[in-house]
Amino acid sequence: MRRWSIPLLWLLAALGCGWIVLTAPVAADLALFASRADPVTELLLEQLRSGPTTRLILLGLAGDVEPERAAVSQRLAERLRVNREFARVANGADALPEAELQALFAHRYRLSPTVAPERFTVEGLRTGLQQRLAELQSPLAVFQKRWLAGDPTGELLTLFKQWQGGLREPAKRRGVWFSPDGERALLLVETQASGYDLAAQRAAVTAIRAAFAAASTGTGVRLEMSGPGVLATLAADTIRGQAEWLSTLALAAVVLLLLLVYRSARTVWMGALPMLSSLLAGAAAVDLIFGKMYLITLAFSMTLLGETLDYPTYLFSHRRAADTVADTVRQLWPTLRLCVATTMLGCLAMLDADFPGLSQLGVFTVAGIAAAVATTRWLLPALLPPDWMPPRPTAIGPWADRVLQPRPRLALALGGCGLLALLILIGKAPALWENDLAALSPVPHELLRLDQELRTALGAPEVGHLIAITAPDAETALRHGETIAAYLDERQREGALAGYDGAMRYLPSAQMQQQRQAWLPDAATLTANLNAALAGLPFKPGLFAPFLDAIAAARTAPPLRPEDVRGTLLGTRVNALLFPGEHGWTALLPLSGVRDAQALAAGLPQGEASRAYYLDLRAETNRLVAGFREATLARIGWGAVLIVAVVWLGLRAWRQVIAALLPVGLALVFTVAALLALGERLSLFHLVSLLLVLGVGVDYGLFFSRPGADPDLRRRTLHALLVCCGSALIVFGMLSTSALPALRAIGLTVSLGVAASFLAALIAARPLLTRMS
Amino acid sequence: MKCWAGLLLYWPLACMAADDALSQVMRALAAVPAVEASFREEKTLAMLDTPLVASGVLYYRAPDFLRKRTLYPHPEDYEADGHWLTVETPDAGRRQFNLNGYPQLRPFVEAIRATQAGDQAALERYYQLELWGTPADWSLRLTPRDTDAQRYVAAIVLRGRNGRIDSMETLEPDGDRSLMTITSR
Repeated sequence: MRRWSIPLLWLLAALGCGWIVLTAPVAADLALFASRADPVTELLLEQLRSGPTTRLILLGLAGDVEPERAAVSQRLAERLRVNREFARVANGADALPEAELQALFAHRYRLSPTVAPERFTVEGLRTGLQQRLAELQSPLAVFQKRWLAGDPTGELLTLFKQWQGGLREPAKRRGVWFSPDGERALLLVETQASGYDLAAQRAAVTAIRAAFAAASTGTGVRLEMSGPGVLATLAADTIRGQAEWLSTLALAAVVLLLLLVYRSARTVWMGALPMLSSLLAGAAAVDLIFGKMYLITLAFSMTLLGETLDYPTYLFSHRRAADTVADTVRQLWPTLRLCVATTMLGCLAMLDADFPGLSQLGVFTVAGIAAAVATTRWLLPALLPPDWMPPRPTAIGPWADRVLQPRPRLALALGGCGLLALLILIGKAPALWENDLAALSPVPHELLRLDQELRTALGAPEVGHLIAITAPDAETALRHGETIAAYLDERQREGALAGYDGAMRYLPSAQMQQQRQAWLPDAATLTANLNAALAGLPFKPGLFAPFLDAIAAARTAPPLRPEDVRGTLLGTRVNALLFPGEHGWTALLPLSGVRDAQALAAGLPQGEASRAYYLDLRAETNRLVAGFREATLARIGWGAVLIVAVVWLGLRAWRQVIAALLPVGLALVFTVAALLALGERLSLFHLVSLLLVLGVGVDYGLFFSRPGADPDLRRRTLHALLVCCGSALIVFGMLSTSALPALRAIGLTVSLGVAASFLAALIAARPLLTRMS
Repeated sequence: MKCWAGLLLYWPLACMAADDALSQVMRALAAVPAVEASFREEKTLAMLDTPLVASGVLYYRAPDFLRKRTLYPHPEDYEADGHWLTVETPDAGRRQFNLNGYPQLRPFVEAIRATQAGDQAALERYYQLELWGTPADWSLRLTPRDTDAQRYVAAIVLRGRNGRIDSMETLEPDGDRSLMTITSR
């Protein structure tokens, strides 16, 4: 009964963890980089998470002939427009529907920026009437003349121009948008859901694919898709696909290695148990504490496998016929305990409430390592027969002794090289880091290129420069927006930027609308002015009665508010640029063609109750990443101090501490130097991988410098470490062949680091011990 | 009875004759390499007491260049060259449109350009064609096929002699119409 209590307990814990892991979401969220309590950062994250630019999906239709591409574009747009998940579906053919036209026409005197007192004087009206007469002459008059009687001053025309602004329109062919070379028909889709709501984006992508399949039957047209949401789902899919494929391959290779070395199938599944426990426990702990897991934590969890696989290997290789399994574990325990304590304490330093992303890495490691070592220490002895031995654990001949021969000169040379490399690294430190998020993106490069191509062709707003206004209510935000619009108009005339957009272009503040209403003359004045203006013009008498009625009605109409336009195209456009958040309202003014961001930001007018922020998204995200990295580095520094302290506590002798830790220091220097020599720029993924190298390297150092070890034990240690290093090289070597930047970074760093740690520990640990003793 | 039988017998022939006349007219028009003419346009609109009159110059060069330059009362310049339409007015300046992007404009351009080019296929794409008279004195009635275009144009009637167009009358569904008379220079 007692024999089975530990496995039973383990099984229950594993099931519990598994359930937690399965129910919690994974987030590809940038929030992990952010430190809390910084207003600009918060705005930025809100933008990156749910801003209008993240909700855009760009579609390209390529292949077949131009008429087919145009026809598919039309049919696809028709199908997508009925789907409520999409706030906007534009393909160039979207002339405003009749109902929307009528709505714009009805509100023209409150919405049109050209409404002014001089518009309704005798001279103003006469100028307007003459312009209308000239328009009637033109061949295009057939499209416009129906508005004439109600709108002699031409306000609807102004509104059309407003409406078409904001987005630089692509060239059209056959009535729909095309890329300049005509090779692709282009569509722009805006989802209701945020670009980082992966489930909703996946649903949107599926809906688009289905609509395209129906719209393109019988043609050879291909669909190309891009946009933040699409890239995020594709990234998740590609990562999953690649990671699954590579890890299956790596797993098979490791199984083969274990089978070859130990000639026992039992080692395979015994070896897998600590690994499995650590994954489940780590993920469950993160999910319990944070409610979700960041993608980077998931990536890191793979690197953790490298360390957890080592623990059972130590056990297998150190088995001797004379001892029971439990004895072997007990003999290993002091060193193993120290290995675990160093890794865990090193990661404790990462727990920081201000950086949820860092904390997750820390929690995952602490929980995962604890679970792995507990499994090795207590579950494996309970499952194995007391006298179990892998059939050929010590097929090591005298060559092992030759390998283990102390080589002080080589060690000295190694130390010298390490010092030199360190100096070179310090010398060129600023050039080492990769802060560009795009380079961190797990999305394959050709997809990013497609995204850029579609974006350029569509003139879609880039995730670039924008002004964000925070205000207690929508009205204040709109008024502040109008002040800034006046400022931007001036800067635009000076050439500081090419253009801007904003909710106030489409829906002015109530204050502005009331101002315009106050400018409208009363019925008697207007009638008199109109009659005077009409003198000598051929318009039929009484033609402009609708105009007189419209002005009379507009004078007393209540101002139009954001809630009044909900559900219309106008509302959609306004909602994308003006929306309520946790702390009041946010208005966005995307800018295009910015020449001098600093000057623009410096002169930005501020409000009494509202604040305006200039956001350069790329620079800000890069700043965030750099900040995150700085924090990580500082934490690693503290972790290193903790590691030294705990190793000293465990060994109580400085020379042993140095023998255990100096090799890993050398290994880290060599790894970084090798990465740079290979042309890599260090990203966050490299950095978290270096953390693992640190953990594994300390283990190697500790084992190679184990005090009081006899030659036989050292041989077995060498065997264990060779297996550990070999399996890590197999797994991470495979990852480093991946085309995904993240997987490649992890694979390359860990395989280089593990190899360097092994060699450094092998060469330097013994000489350091013997020299000093 | 005999009369009916005769009609039945001759009817297909009559159609063939009309078809024949249409293709004859088209061939005659297609043979013209270039035209330079003055025009006078009179628009009768329900909104106005008196018709609007404009005049100017028309240029055509086979197969697809057409320029309508209004000189009086307001200078205005429309130039259709291939897929491109350039509009120039003193107020708005010079603007270029790709005709492919504005399908509602295309029938207006083709009504006169494709007719002068004798491009029956292009005309048939946008209009139903009906020809009366003889190649020496013909009338061609264009009825828009597209329901959207029908909202703006009921029919366009062109009159001419052999390879020359004498007038173009545009009839709008609301009763407004415009008559352009063309005099070769």
